[in-house]
Amino acid sequence: MKTTKQDKVGIALFLLPGVALFLAFFIFPVIYVAGVSLTEWTGFTKASFVGIDNYIKIFKDPVFTRSIINNIVWALVAGFIQVPIAALVAILLSFKPKGWKMFRTVYFFPQVISGIALATLWAAIFNAEYGLLNGILELVGLSGLTRNWLGTLESAFPSVLLYWVLYIGYFMVIIFADVQGISEEYYEAAEIDGASRFMQSLYITLPLAKGSIVTCMTLAMINGIRQFEQVYMLTNGGPGNRTSVMVLYLYKEMQAFSYGTSSAAAVVLIFVGSLIILGLNKTLGKETH
Amino acid sequence: MVKSSKNFRLISVIGSILKWFFLIFLFVYALFPLIWLTISSLKTNAEFMASPFSLPETWQWGNYVKALTVSGIARMMFNSVVISVAATLLNVLITSMSAYAVSRFEFKGNNLLQMMFSAGVLVPLNALMVPYFILITRLKLDNTMLGLILVYTAIGIPISTFITTGFMRSIPRELEESAVIDGANFYVRFKSVILPLSRTGIVTAGTFQFLTCWNEFVYANLLTSSPEVRTVQLGIRYFTNQFSTDYVSMYAAIVISIVPSIIAYMLFQNQIISGLTSGAVKG
Repeated sequence: MKTTKQDKVGIALFLLPGVALFLAFFIFPVIYVAGVSLTEWTGFTKASFVGIDNYIKIFKDPVFTRSIINNIVWALVAGFIQVPIAALVAILLSFKPKGWKMFRTVYFFPQVISGIALATLWAAIFNAEYGLLNGILELVGLSGLTRNWLGTLESAFPSVLLYWVLYIGYFMVIIFADVQGISEEYYEAAEIDGASRFMQSLYITLPLAKGSIVTCMTLAMINGIRQFEQVYMLTNGGPGNRTSVMVLYLYKEMQAFSYGTSSAAAVVLIFVGSLIILGLNKTLGKETH
Repeated sequence: MVKSSKNFRLISVIGSILKWFFLIFLFVYALFPLIWLTISSLKTNAEFMASPFSLPETWQWGNYVKALTVSGIARMMFNSVVISVAATLLNVLITSMSAYAVSRFEFKGNNLLQMMFSAGVLVPLNALMVPYFILITRLKLDNTMLGLILVYTAIGIPISTFITTGFMRSIPRELEESAVIDGANFYVRFKSVILPLSRTGIVTAGTFQFLTCWNEFVYANLLTSSPEVRTVQLGIRYFTNQFSTDYVSMYAAIVISIVPSIIAYMLFQNQIISGLTSGAVKG
């Protein structure tokens, strides 16, 4: 079909709002934040150029380096523990065991609830006095293990970090669809060769679902480095900044009217995110978009 | 021979037990905390403190009345509905327009545009607080619902364009061609051929967009300050102050805030799942 002159005007008009918003809220902010990161600025006064001083400052701040480490741990757990669990569940459900649809519905359920509501719920679960977790431990005779989960140095970060690892619904649904799309012929051939279901999953399903698994790992790891609500709500970075993450750090810097250091932290975050995306695509193939 | 087949059966029984244990454990993990929260919201505070697992002696529906009156959640729900609905409608309108352009026409830079939109999914928006704050304050839209509507419309553009483009691309060319022969121009074809045929895709994108808006916290927190424009998610943050030690009423308020998400999920479950599968994989 030929594109007429009238079509061309239409295309331009139809693209205008989407592209304009995209430029204003995706492209411009990234450039802008990089610019601000090279200045000292409180948001009120005139910004003054300081070169890379802000970067030196934040990398000397133990709270920021702790935040980077926490984010990297978070991303690794998301990519290499959460997504593999999701892939395993997707494969198990692809054999359509009894009630698989109900399992799928329920696994996805936590994903439609806001991070802030889930965090409040888990604050109640971790609570030292009346929390569900300590209650369960006492119930099964392990009262020695009860503690103030979010207030103790050793347990605070694992608690904040780990509760969402088993919320796998989002990734499971993506991988499940990919697994469903694999042609039956492969399995029939393997069946004739006498391969067990386990072997089939390992040698047929996993390689053929690699594209969606890598996509999920990318999304999961990006989630890992842009976390905010959970930490903000559960610990606000404490105790002793042990649970701080990069977004919380840049938020606090911003609230303290230090826009330069806040923006420098944002640039580091974007940089780490890009490294993750590039790294995953380099090592695990290019099937992702 | 007999022995090895026995072993094999044993392994498969153990495997099956492990499988069901695993699936059911994850099932309980996803559901039990929410059920616990709901049951707790119907107890008295004394009951809740004394025995976290028991059912309530009498169901305390009064907690919900208290939740509604103390928290001002009705107003927040209203704000959230207005903001989410407006941002969803605007978002699907804008993205179905751009999806129509990129999916049905060939022009210079088309691929680049599509790549750009898709890459937007990976931009860590939480890191852009400073620029968003400056942008919205300069536009004098800080502390307004309009400001949040604008931000929410924008942040959903990559994912909605992605989903809608996928659907529109699958519409056969012939349908549009016959409309051209009938003399339908660019806009008429969009309105009466493409839009009706990609309704499923648009509803899917809209469902995602609505959930994103309803659940958004970071920018509601950053860009608004007065109670008149407060959204539900922001409200949850203040519940701990408002209710102080009245935990059960606070839980009632949280349950109320979750209900719209659950309703959206129940109604559009198939759309959500098909959206994830069509959008994310086949990029």
